[in-house]
Amino acid sequence: MARAADPRAMGASRPGRTRTAPPRMPPEFPFAGRYRAYTLFDATGLVYLLLGLLALRLARALAAGPEAWEAAMASFRHPLYLAFHALALVSVIFVGVRFFSLFPKAQPPKIGPLAPPPAPLIKAGLYAAWIGVSAALVAILAGGVF
Amino acid sequence: MKRLLLRLEPIIWLLFGQGILIGTILLTGWVLVVGLLVPLGVVPAEALGYERAHRLGANPIGRLVLLAIAALPLWKGAHHLRSLAIDFGGAHRDALVASALYGIAAVGSLLAIAAVLSL
Repeated sequence: MARAADPRAMGASRPGRTRTAPPRMPPEFPFAGRYRAYTLFDATGLVYLLLGLLALRLARALAAGPEAWEAAMASFRHPLYLAFHALALVSVIFVGVRFFSLFPKAQPPKIGPLAPPPAPLIKAGLYAAWIGVSAALVAILAGGVF
Repeated sequence: MKRLLLRLEPIIWLLFGQGILIGTILLTGWVLVVGLLVPLGVVPAEALGYERAHRLGANPIGRLVLLAIAALPLWKGAHHLRSLAIDFGGAHRDALVASALYGIAAVGSLLAIAAVLSL
């Protein structure tokens, strides 16, 4: 049986004249059927927030000097950080695949006078950018370039 | 507060959208090297020694990339956690939850700007 949703979650900003049934959460929510990917996609928000905070920590350490930088980089060798970054890599790839599948469907019918490119072309462009930038970043950060 | 959040919604959505798009494109290589390959010793630590890391981070493109990697994921994270909080807990505390999460993202973004400017 579907559980009751919070009535304000999907309510109109002003009460209308027509009586409506209170909204109910679908029985599949949160982890069955299509809701599994939906919920996991939202849950990656926690991973992204932590990744942003860790990158911020590194940026501040880089600005603070060699000792702070080396200490921050050394802390990343802790098993908890390694486990988190492994989970983060899976999460980022999951978000990319899901979002890049959604992106062509979210295009407006017209962009100015032009129609947007066909969906496969948009998708190919996104994947090319993703793979290209990732490869370039890996080469630069790992010391292969520059 | 609710009214302010509604007025800021276009800016929040812009940063959230870029957090998914640019954040994801940049984070894949970043997490792989900085979070896994260097700590595991697959890539030598000298590749991201202070001198080299500072040289990479201090040039204009490096500053922009570092800023994007630090700031944009905060907005993607904040917005999706807000959405998760509404789905699981209802909307009655949304103004409080949203203010806290976007507050973290905003303060984090300002700190990231300050950090990359001081490189």
